[in-house]
Amino acid sequence: MTNAVTWARRNLFRSPFDAVLTIVFGIVGLFIIHRSLNFIFVTGRWDVIRVNLRLLMIGRFPDTHVLRIAVTVVVLAGWAGLLAGLIRARQVRAGRVDVGATRLSWRRVSDVADRLWLPAFVVLLILMLTSTSGPWVMAIAAVVAAAIGRLIGPYVGRLPLIGLPGVLLMVALAVVPVILFFYVVSAVGFDEWGGFMLNLFLAVCSIVLCFPLGVALALGRRSTLPLVRVVCTLYIELVRGAPLFVLLLLANVALGFFIPSNLTPSTATRAIIVFTLFTAAYMAEIVRGGLQSVPRGQIEAAKALGLSPVRQMGLIVLPQALRNVIPAQIGQLISLFKDTSLAALAMGLFELLEVSTIITSQGDFRGQGLIGETIAFAALLFWTVSYTMSRESQRLERKLGVGTR
Amino acid sequence: MSEHTSDETASDAMGDTGSDATSGTVSEVFADATQMAGTGEVMIELEHVDKLFGDFKALSDINVRVGKQEVMVVIGPSGSGKSTMIRCINRLEEHDRGRIVVDGTELSNDLRNIQEIRRETGMVFQSFNLFPHLTVIDNVTLAPRNVRKLSKRDAIDMGMALLEHVRIPEQAKKYPGQLSGGQQQRVAIARALAMKPKVMLFDEPTSALDPEMINEVLDTMKDLARDGMTMIVVTHEMGFAREVADRVLFMAEGEIVEVGTPEHFFTDPREERTKQFLAQIL
Repeated sequence: MTNAVTWARRNLFRSPFDAVLTIVFGIVGLFIIHRSLNFIFVTGRWDVIRVNLRLLMIGRFPDTHVLRIAVTVVVLAGWAGLLAGLIRARQVRAGRVDVGATRLSWRRVSDVADRLWLPAFVVLLILMLTSTSGPWVMAIAAVVAAAIGRLIGPYVGRLPLIGLPGVLLMVALAVVPVILFFYVVSAVGFDEWGGFMLNLFLAVCSIVLCFPLGVALALGRRSTLPLVRVVCTLYIELVRGAPLFVLLLLANVALGFFIPSNLTPSTATRAIIVFTLFTAAYMAEIVRGGLQSVPRGQIEAAKALGLSPVRQMGLIVLPQALRNVIPAQIGQLISLFKDTSLAALAMGLFELLEVSTIITSQGDFRGQGLIGETIAFAALLFWTVSYTMSRESQRLERKLGVGTR
Repeated sequence: MSEHTSDETASDAMGDTGSDATSGTVSEVFADATQMAGTGEVMIELEHVDKLFGDFKALSDINVRVGKQEVMVVIGPSGSGKSTMIRCINRLEEHDRGRIVVDGTELSNDLRNIQEIRRETGMVFQSFNLFPHLTVIDNVTLAPRNVRKLSKRDAIDMGMALLEHVRIPEQAKKYPGQLSGGQQQRVAIARALAMKPKVMLFDEPTSALDPEMINEVLDTMKDLARDGMTMIVVTHEMGFAREVADRVLFMAEGEIVEVGTPEHFFTDPREERTKQFLAQIL
């Protein structure tokens, strides 16, 4: 008790000014906490979420094909687990992780819990709100699949696959998500996807595509060939000079002028193209910054060893450049993820934010001012994913030892 | 000059220039730098080499020959062009005029040709320039695996042997950032040796080191010289020059001022600029 008093005196009430600050912000803080808790547990009417949960998560995806989504989620979970186990095994073999850390220990359990508590909590929350058993079955199956994948991953990683079989395994692993995508999209066209699923999908596709494009643009901007340099610079500056919203509108409206209507890609595809092209321009500048952060001596050492220009870049410069700018890169990707909420207003896609506003004007809920509840729910989902990405990027930084060199 | 050189040579050198400059092999001055030591076969040849940085003439009419198994130490004030000269040999700088020939291959603008020469010439830098994202053993094996196309196993065997040679095999799995400066420089030497070069170029290898680490690097270089490696060493370490060098080259303002045996430099330098420089650093 006396400890608490001395702590408070030292940290909160050191001077009269500190005391005033503490009291004022204490009151403001308590007020905010009180109002929030009051909203969540007392005044908030969460029925609108419960009733529309499915719409919020997957939009108007037809009943007959919902099973495909479930199958996709489960397979994807198993795939991710397998990949994690495989990578871990490789790292252990390469001596990057000490073997003691691979045994099941309290430390490891708490580490995993620390990484996963937030998404796990939100998923549980969503499951609690469901009225059918389907999502529960899917979630449990996904967890089981991930666990199985994680357990057999190391054995796959230890297989003596050199040369062609190894390459084939890599290709097979890389192809899994693509197959799953066609498995779902062959049943239900892209434009009928909706809800948070659509946001996630737009973001993942754009992230995967914008990264190589951004690196290529960054390298192009530093190219010694004038034409390549000019084209890349022009592209980057033009795209960065336009608001994303305008580009999305443009893709929706103006593409029709250039591409014959029977060839026009679906709205969601167009959204992915715009997000990719837009983020790639920013990515390029971030990567360029990273390239400039690699000291000249590194290139000289690589040259002096007789490495070819491609290897100098691929083995020495790029790995260091990309590492140095992880925080900025992840920041840009988080921003991209959140920007998928613009897709509704600009292109009429039925994504999470759109669903959140529409459901407040349904018959049962009309005129009750439920927008606060639905937007709060949408915000929670966006924040959960963004925060998880941010945490994982910090973990990656620590792991790669950025800033400790 | 200070106490580093013995009293009689100091007074001798200061008093009377060139009295017994060419007496025997111990203290010999050469008319120009093309008169080489070593086995007698030419390893590196620079002929009328000029290098300009804008209007500034970094090298002017450099003529040097280095023989096989020769150790040549290059000294001179900063900005004298000594680093530029060795950086021209493996094309980290492009010379503007003249000819550079390494082991019979003339350096041209053809990338293949440049890479062939780079494969034969190892370089050690003042600031080590180890790859911070790779472990020590990966630093050493990277080029043999990617350029010499050695298998991973062979490369690691050779890399470990080299790390033993520079006396740090126990650091193989660490990252450069975890090593001391002296250890890093020895890894850098091992990395350059891993390509089995015919020539080693050292660009002030001990200048960035704390004093207590200088000797471990110099010892490694002495081992290398004893094993018969052809070496060009830009350095301010006069003790090293005296003990190991076959020839010392003094450069100033982009020109070769004086060439001779180490004994010549420490006992009887001829040129005024050489004397001034030696007086400053000894």
